[in-house]
Amino acid sequence: MDKETIDSLLDPLSVQRAEALGLQARYVVEGYMAGEHKSPYRGFAIEFAQHREYAPGDDTRHIDWKVQARTDRYFIKQYEQETNYVSNILLDGSESMQYGSGRLTKFQYGKALAACLSYLILHQRDAAAVGIFDQTMRDYAPRSNNRATIHTVMQRLAAFQPTGQTNIAGVLHDIARVVRRKGIIIVISDLFDDEEKVLEGIQHLRFAGHEVVLFHTLDPDEFEFPFKGLVEFEGMENIPKILTRPQEIRKSYLREFDAFRTRLREGCEKNHVHYVTVNTAQPLHEMLSGYLAFRLKTTTR
Amino acid sequence: MGFLNPLLLVGAAAVAVPIIVHLLNRRKFQRVVWGAMRFIKASVDQNQRRMKIEDLILLALRCLILILLALALSRPAMKSSTTDIFGQTKVTGVLLLDNSFSMGVSDGVETRFDKARKAAEQAIDALPAGSATAVLLASDIAQGLIPEPTYDLNLARKAIREAKLSDRASDLAPAIQKAIENLKGRSALRKEIYLVTDGQATGWRQLGDIQKSLEQTKTEIKSHILLVGSKEDRNLGVSGLSVAGGLTPVNRPIRFEVQVTNFGKEEAKNVRVTLAVGSEPSGDEIIVPLLRPGETVGVSLFGKLRTEGFHPVTARIPDDRLLADNKRTVVCRAIREARVLLVDGEPGTEPRDSETFILGHALVPVPALDRESYFIKTTTVTAIELAATRLDDFDAIVLANVADFSETTVKSLEQYLKRGGGLMVFPGAKVNAGFYNDILFARHAMLPAALGAPEGNAEQEEKYATLQTRNYEHPVTALWNNPGAGTLASARFFRTFKLEPAPENQKQVVADAGPARVVLRYASGAPAVMERAWGLGRVFLFSSTADTAWNDLPVRPAFLALVQRVLGSLVQRQDESLNVPVGQEFTRQVSSDLVGRDAQVSGPSQSAATRELRRVELINGVPTLRFAATDSGGAYEATVNDPPAVIRFAAQPDSRESDLTELAVEDKEKLKTSAHVYDWSPGVSLRELVEKERVGTEFWLPIALLVLALAAIETWLAQWFSRAK
Repeated sequence: MDKETIDSLLDPLSVQRAEALGLQARYVVEGYMAGEHKSPYRGFAIEFAQHREYAPGDDTRHIDWKVQARTDRYFIKQYEQETNYVSNILLDGSESMQYGSGRLTKFQYGKALAACLSYLILHQRDAAAVGIFDQTMRDYAPRSNNRATIHTVMQRLAAFQPTGQTNIAGVLHDIARVVRRKGIIIVISDLFDDEEKVLEGIQHLRFAGHEVVLFHTLDPDEFEFPFKGLVEFEGMENIPKILTRPQEIRKSYLREFDAFRTRLREGCEKNHVHYVTVNTAQPLHEMLSGYLAFRLKTTTR
Repeated sequence: MGFLNPLLLVGAAAVAVPIIVHLLNRRKFQRVVWGAMRFIKASVDQNQRRMKIEDLILLALRCLILILLALALSRPAMKSSTTDIFGQTKVTGVLLLDNSFSMGVSDGVETRFDKARKAAEQAIDALPAGSATAVLLASDIAQGLIPEPTYDLNLARKAIREAKLSDRASDLAPAIQKAIENLKGRSALRKEIYLVTDGQATGWRQLGDIQKSLEQTKTEIKSHILLVGSKEDRNLGVSGLSVAGGLTPVNRPIRFEVQVTNFGKEEAKNVRVTLAVGSEPSGDEIIVPLLRPGETVGVSLFGKLRTEGFHPVTARIPDDRLLADNKRTVVCRAIREARVLLVDGEPGTEPRDSETFILGHALVPVPALDRESYFIKTTTVTAIELAATRLDDFDAIVLANVADFSETTVKSLEQYLKRGGGLMVFPGAKVNAGFYNDILFARHAMLPAALGAPEGNAEQEEKYATLQTRNYEHPVTALWNNPGAGTLASARFFRTFKLEPAPENQKQVVADAGPARVVLRYASGAPAVMERAWGLGRVFLFSSTADTAWNDLPVRPAFLALVQRVLGSLVQRQDESLNVPVGQEFTRQVSSDLVGRDAQVSGPSQSAATRELRRVELINGVPTLRFAATDSGGAYEATVNDPPAVIRFAAQPDSRESDLTELAVEDKEKLKTSAHVYDWSPGVSLRELVEKERVGTEFWLPIALLVLALAAIETWLAQWFSRAK
């Protein structure tokens, strides 16, 4: 039985900040591939759907000033994607996500992030689907735009225990094949897999017209490798043990690790994928609001 | 290559420690469950070889450090090396300084001993830093000034500067042996003996043994012999001084026999010999016209002892380069009178017929008017009266042809002898040989010999025995070694008892009995007169009569001297101990009221401030004064304040030490095969000579420095290797 309560998965501060920023789709939802059509909105193709009277709290950037000039009343534009996208949140539930040097493991952090994003998307009346995977998809809450779905999502997230090895690329390819409707694919993982295959999976998703956001979730120890003395590293996911003196291989490790992240980042950038480095030592609300603000900046003109 | 502390090589086993620690440490590690294994694996794969090599380097360094440390502690050394790369290895040495009296020879400026001290200090200066040395004085014994090697070389120098010359003889074998024993078994690379001596041949009389000892230890101990003596071809010495007459009465001229020897290689002419009693400036003297090289001349000089008590008497010749033997002192005890009991075994009808008539006159050889004032007082009793006579009233008892006496008298005689009395026994026709043999000889061991069967016929004068003509060995008869003293050989013995000397083990039967000694022999070699000590007393046994019944000795001139000397030996027996050889302990029985008192003893030329104290103690129930520090020749004085008493005694140097003949060239060459022999003079640089002979290098220091360097390298490498890579 899950040990965490639903409430603990939703960080109030994170939710509050995220709500103010919203999670906007970057690319056209249906039938539009990024880069195929130029739009007046650089890198961002949207279709105007309708007006809605301005209510306090709405983003003033969407006020239609032409209408205001004509009518002397304030109306905001509503766009196609605001009312019509599906997010697939994919959380890596492999054993390596169980590592945590601080208060939270990567999986716990990932769960909180997934919960927060789910809440935000559903609150925006968009549809969200949440899946937890390791070698294959282990648990999947299908898409729904019903706010009550959040409870189901929380329960599934809370109940899951990572045990298996990972196969991120396989899961991404499966999602690309299965999910027809273009939407946002949010991947929360430590990506400890063959990064070439992961990038291939991401590419497949992009070719399918999806927007992909990659939250590369890592523990501070994985960034710093601060170990001293003689340490036996016991690999998760059935990798053999290694007895070594970490101090003496630290530079080499950091070099390898940074090269891995660089390859991923470069691959993501090539595929126009948002690559977000997540350090589980950073409070979730800071990380998430930072990303959403960046996203808003890059998607709104 | 050898090791001075080979046991410490075991410490090399400590090399197992870092290996064990290395292995154990591999079991102590932190466990981390880790996800990003691929990066660790990649890093380890890249660095594994390097890390293994680094580990091995550190392990090797640590093992090497421990091995080298054990090696350094074991003090490896190479015995032969042409150069001392790391400086001279310190020496553990023994310095022997000859202080026998021949070292007193002067060249007009300084004595051999002064030179020897300089050479000894040079030897110490030539020692490398960190060396240690003992300092012993060598004569006929080894005296430790600094018995064990000391690192304080200034102390050694001080000891040498303050060392004193003695009047002891030289026999270097004991000192050399002691030095070898001192150094043997010490764990030092370089061990050296320095012997500073004058090269006098008598000091090397045990050359064979000395050479054997030096040869056997040659590889372990280097010996250096420094000869400081210069040739001395002239030396005269007073080689003997003794009382010729036996008894030393007060105020009577006493004859002293003085022997002067020419130890040099040149003739000495007109040698003036003087005799002085006590502190009197001059006494009798005589001129010896000629003394050839090696010749000994005996002269008689007379002196008078004015008062009762102890008197030093000194014979002198003019000073030469060796002062110590130009005088000799003996101490005599002047007695006021000597009381003699004559027990006449055959009194006869006329006085002149008595057995003791001639003997009595020989003992008191003065006219009747002077008998009262003569110092020898005789009392004559018959054998029957002996039992009632108080024996302790007499200094000596003469049994002349006494048949026998009661057991009570025998016991009284025993007590008398034990307390220091003297007994002279003349046999004759009346003696009960069985009594003398069974009781006095066998049971009580009083007599030095048993009376065997009488030999000869007293009724005839054609056949007789005569006494020896030369080689008189006993002190009583030594006088007749001097032809000028007359002869005993003219006496004729027609009938004698054969003296059968007491066996040596008779002392075990009767503890008070001393060994039997022959005083005088017949020309045939058979003993004519024998003596033995008994308790504190002495017994003389003649083999023929005291009168002319069996022999004509009593009517020979020598008879008087003989009986006087025998009487002197009996009456003043204890006084023989007044004159001891240099180095021998002086022991004397004293009055019982001195027991527990301290006597202040001063030696020749010693000031009152340097007197030594000795306590009078009971030794075997006898009040005894002992003094062992008789290294100087001459007169000593022991004074007790309460009750007031003064005892004087003298130490006599060994006259052989006056022979300054050098060690023969061939003997010197023999010595050179087992020791380094140098002829030292003030201009000689001993350091150069010795350093040339010194070989050997210790390696502990460079190894220790290497250990330190390796430890520093290991520390730095460990830091370098463990930095983040």
